[in-house]
Amino acid sequence: MNCYLGVDIGSISTKGVIIDDNNNIICSLYLWTEGNPVNAVKKLVEQLKNKIPDGYLVRGIGTTGSARRLIGLMLDANVVKNEITAHAVGTLSIHPEVRTILEIGGQDSKIILVDKGIVIDYAMNTLCAAGTGAFLSSQAKRLNIPIEEFGEIALKSTNPTKIAARCTVFAESDLVHKSQMGYSKEDIVAGLCKSIVLNYLNNVGKGKKIKGPIVFQGGVSKNKGVIKYFKEILNADIIVDENGHLMGAIGIAILARQKRLEKTYSLEMAEIDFKTLGIECNKCPNNCELLKIYKNNQLIETIGSMCGRE
Amino acid sequence: MDKLKIGLPRGLFYYQNEYMWKYFFEMLDCDLVVSPKTNKEIIGLGEKYSIDEMCLSMKTYLGHVASLVGLCDYILVPRIDNYGRMNQSCTNFLAAYDLVNNLFEGKLLNYNVNYENGEIEEKAYLCIGKILGKNKKQIKNAYQSALIKSHKQIKKQCINSLNKLKSSKTKILLVGHDYNFEDELIGKPIIEYLTSESCEVIKCYELPKEVTNKLSFQISKTLYWKNNRENIGAIPFLEQSVDGIILLSSFPCGPDSIVNELVIRRVKLPILNLVVDDLSSFSGFETRLESFLDIVKQKIMR
Repeated sequence: MNCYLGVDIGSISTKGVIIDDNNNIICSLYLWTEGNPVNAVKKLVEQLKNKIPDGYLVRGIGTTGSARRLIGLMLDANVVKNEITAHAVGTLSIHPEVRTILEIGGQDSKIILVDKGIVIDYAMNTLCAAGTGAFLSSQAKRLNIPIEEFGEIALKSTNPTKIAARCTVFAESDLVHKSQMGYSKEDIVAGLCKSIVLNYLNNVGKGKKIKGPIVFQGGVSKNKGVIKYFKEILNADIIVDENGHLMGAIGIAILARQKRLEKTYSLEMAEIDFKTLGIECNKCPNNCELLKIYKNNQLIETIGSMCGRE
Repeated sequence: MDKLKIGLPRGLFYYQNEYMWKYFFEMLDCDLVVSPKTNKEIIGLGEKYSIDEMCLSMKTYLGHVASLVGLCDYILVPRIDNYGRMNQSCTNFLAAYDLVNNLFEGKLLNYNVNYENGEIEEKAYLCIGKILGKNKKQIKNAYQSALIKSHKQIKKQCINSLNKLKSSKTKILLVGHDYNFEDELIGKPIIEYLTSESCEVIKCYELPKEVTNKLSFQISKTLYWKNNRENIGAIPFLEQSVDGIILLSSFPCGPDSIVNELVIRRVKLPILNLVVDDLSSFSGFETRLESFLDIVKQKIMR
């Protein structure tokens, strides 16, 4: 039987999923990228490989997420696609009727608008990472609360503290100020969750018509506090899938299935020696930062050159 | 006697006036020194001479001026105020001369365009001709012939652009300033990406400006920036013939931030708004462009 691997390598976490010909999930894995996508993917693939039941052959590999190009080369993927398309395809396979996808990840957030099964518009955060998972987790650390419990604590509050939602730096000073004034931890945590929602709707969701059914996904969708305030502020039902964090990986696995080649992949990672080397090319005033990628000591690609020089 | 060398900074005014300047100065027997295509060194130079609030395009322009200092007898920096009511220029076009004059050593060649005060373009060219020591007849001759020749070139460009509409490829209309799209580092990578994804690219500034200027009133009756008018007029002009629109502006451009928002609200086609800030990486753009093309192509298939 055939199966397909989809890998979504984000800034914070790396997600992998293996699906069969009918888009059923055979196995999946979620682990931290820890600033090293190559190692994270090695670990991911090694572990996924052992989870595949006997009799399955991997017939396609797709990569998405911010390190998609690098990892695509490493795994010799047959599809390398942006995370917007991947998320839309993944979500549509499970919720075909969806109209709006809200996604808040570690360092980016996006909104995808869908009409009759195709993406019609999208927006991403641009110049600033305020109101993403990275902000929540750094604030959780400040307050000494495990990020997993953040949502539960927020639900206890009946009166969320108002926290400036526009910018992370101001939100942080606001937060310090409020806790020094004596606001309770629950109210502050709830206020933070609310500020994430307001920030998202004011920045990423600005000017977009949010129609139901609405699906909320990405790492932050695990936070019940944020879900609550999305429901409250949008005054609508919000669907949160238990596989919400895997949608990108599922989507790219589906794309890999659709574009499969007559080829079988082995998932032997241990033997592959994969190295990257960052250098500055000084051959013209642009001083491009080149990233040379070596597979088994052979240069397979150079990324970052403006003129095409290797 | 050696020919006079006129330096042309490759930014802001350059692309609109390229042909006109080239033919005019050729007729007056001057040599032209155009600054090199934008590279990181030029942007770095520009940042050195700018303050934070200036837009990336203005910073780049100052870098181009800096790279010309000492290489020519005059550097041409006009002061463009307006081409009549409802045809104002952005403050950069108005301020560039005085900024450059205060920042750099060396002689500048300057002309004013302010139709509301009767300072029309022909007068401006007369004025620079005089500074170069030419007589009135010579200058008028040069102006007239440059005008005819440059119009021919521009017309050719327009016909070329309109011919692209017949192509069977995915057609993307680029709406933004020529000095951004034509810039080697700001806009060129975007155009190259689109071409490599086999799109036909139609540039708003290579369309007949008389037409787009008038059509822009369909989008706004009160907008008074000439360049923005001519750019966005391309949308009502070609809305029916293209598959998607890409807006490009340089951070933090004032006019574009208002105009692009206005445009996004009125347009029914898939539209992508790109803002270039610093140029450290193209990968953010690649994600946006790739997913935008996915949307456009899916729409065509349906």
